Amino acid sequence: MSLKALRIVWRISLLNIRAAMEYRTEFLLMIAIGAIWQVSVIVFATVLLARFAGMGGWDSSDVLLIPAIRMLAHGLFVLFLGRMHFIGRQIQEGRIDVYLLRPMPVHRQVQLDYFPTNAIGDLTVAAGLMVGALSRSTLDWTAGRTAYLIAAVIGGMLLEAALFTAVASACLRYPAADYWGRWLEELLGTFGSYPLNVLPKAVGGFLTFALPLAFVAYFPAAVLTGHDTAVPYWLAASSPLLGLVAYVGARGLWRWALGHYTGVNG
Amino acid sequence: MASVLHGWRAARVTPLGELHTPPRMTAVLLRLTVQVVLVASLWRGLYAQTGTTAGLSRDQAVTYAVMAVLASRLRELDQSAGRDMVLQHMHFGTIVYWYLRPLPPQRYYALRALGEQLYGLAWALGGYAVCLAAGVVEPPASAGVAGVFVVSMLLGQWVLYYVMLILDQMCFFTIRNNAAMLILIFAQNLLSGVYAPLWFFPDWFITLSGFLPFQATLSVPLSIYVGRIELADTGAQLAIQAAWVVGLALLTRWVWRRAARRVIAQGG
Repeated sequence: MSLKALRIVWRISLLNIRAAMEYRTEFLLMIAIGAIWQVSVIVFATVLLARFAGMGGWDSSDVLLIPAIRMLAHGLFVLFLGRMHFIGRQIQEGRIDVYLLRPMPVHRQVQLDYFPTNAIGDLTVAAGLMVGALSRSTLDWTAGRTAYLIAAVIGGMLLEAALFTAVASACLRYPAADYWGRWLEELLGTFGSYPLNVLPKAVGGFLTFALPLAFVAYFPAAVLTGHDTAVPYWLAASSPLLGLVAYVGARGLWRWALGHYTGVNG
Repeated sequence: MASVLHGWRAARVTPLGELHTPPRMTAVLLRLTVQVVLVASLWRGLYAQTGTTAGLSRDQAVTYAVMAVLASRLRELDQSAGRDMVLQHMHFGTIVYWYLRPLPPQRYYALRALGEQLYGLAWALGGYAVCLAAGVVEPPASAGVAGVFVVSMLLGQWVLYYVMLILDQMCFFTIRNNAAMLILIFAQNLLSGVYAPLWFFPDWFITLSGFLPFQATLSVPLSIYVGRIELADTGAQLAIQAAWVVGLALLTRWVWRRAARRVIAQGG
């Protein structure tokens, strides 16, 4: 992206923030919804942790690292790349057709459609949980481990973005595929926040290879805390890299799908 | 006779949208299957090293969680694809057509919801039959429990109808209310026990939810089914559910009247 393009992105984002603040109550409620959504993940995780101590052989301070990585990755995804969620509506309203006529990549226009106010709440709660998880952690946070944690969060963001970009690409052909996006979000929220080794092997395999949810937070947390997983160490350790590869692949899929886009009217 | 015909036509609006898009039905089937397998596996896995906790045994917890997934199908139809959500009608100004038809908007809304719930019930019952046959969920302990569960579930769905109606009625009074809608939908899911049985939550949380209508929608009927609420204690619970139905019916009736005065579309 050139400097000029960056400047345009920045100016449009500022305008989007001003537009969002036009409705103050809605603006504040959107921040609240981001926070509440994240708190629900914490509530679910803490309820399970309190009732089922030693979940999957992990102690609670280690388990907390999983939702902390996932939620921070999710918050960053919502902030930077989250508009992929609403592609179905944009297709239905024919806005993609308008984007195709403008001198800016369609993907960027989709991302600049509005400011994701809820990301403020998402990130605030996620950062709070990460601080809490790190303060309870008994691990030695060396430079290498800290760098891996940062890479894991970015990799998690990219992997989540890759999954939603793939669904958005399908939406360009079949707008009803939007339905899968909602399910994906629900699955990530429900099954992305604790050790997957509590599940039977077949189910854990599904959440690793069919739907690579395990690579978002579970495997990176296992690498950081030294827990064994169902996959070889090198595969679990390369989770951040897989996130990057998956995102690059998903953007390729998006470009291909956009090339075959025919609009809702054929 | 004409009113029956009107009723039938309104009730089938959303289900018809589903029946005309087989890919969406396939997606629902796949999603429901995977969700049931995942949820059952999760609770079995969690109970692997624990006995009864929060008054729920492993089988009770699995049955509760799986039936919560099946029950979520009852009101999960997609109205947005047909642009028939109240939020969309307010956004596009087409809400005015609800007031121009020979069918009053409140009756159209109720009939449409009835059709959706009956269609969802077919999915839920089909799923229940498969899960029961596969041994994923336990059958009710006695015919009495089954009977009380059916009554409680019916009242729960009635309460849920009014909760969803209040969410939609809010759209008449606020220009932008996506966030408020999301918060209330979230509250409905959390406080009704969709995410996890309410029995696992701290005492203060259970007490708080006792003052709200959400637990009456799902937590109460499912707790009766799995035996967490004893048959002898169900009378009070059913009475509370019925009280919520009456209270919310009166409230929503009043709001419908107020909402009608707010309809200004296409510039007023």
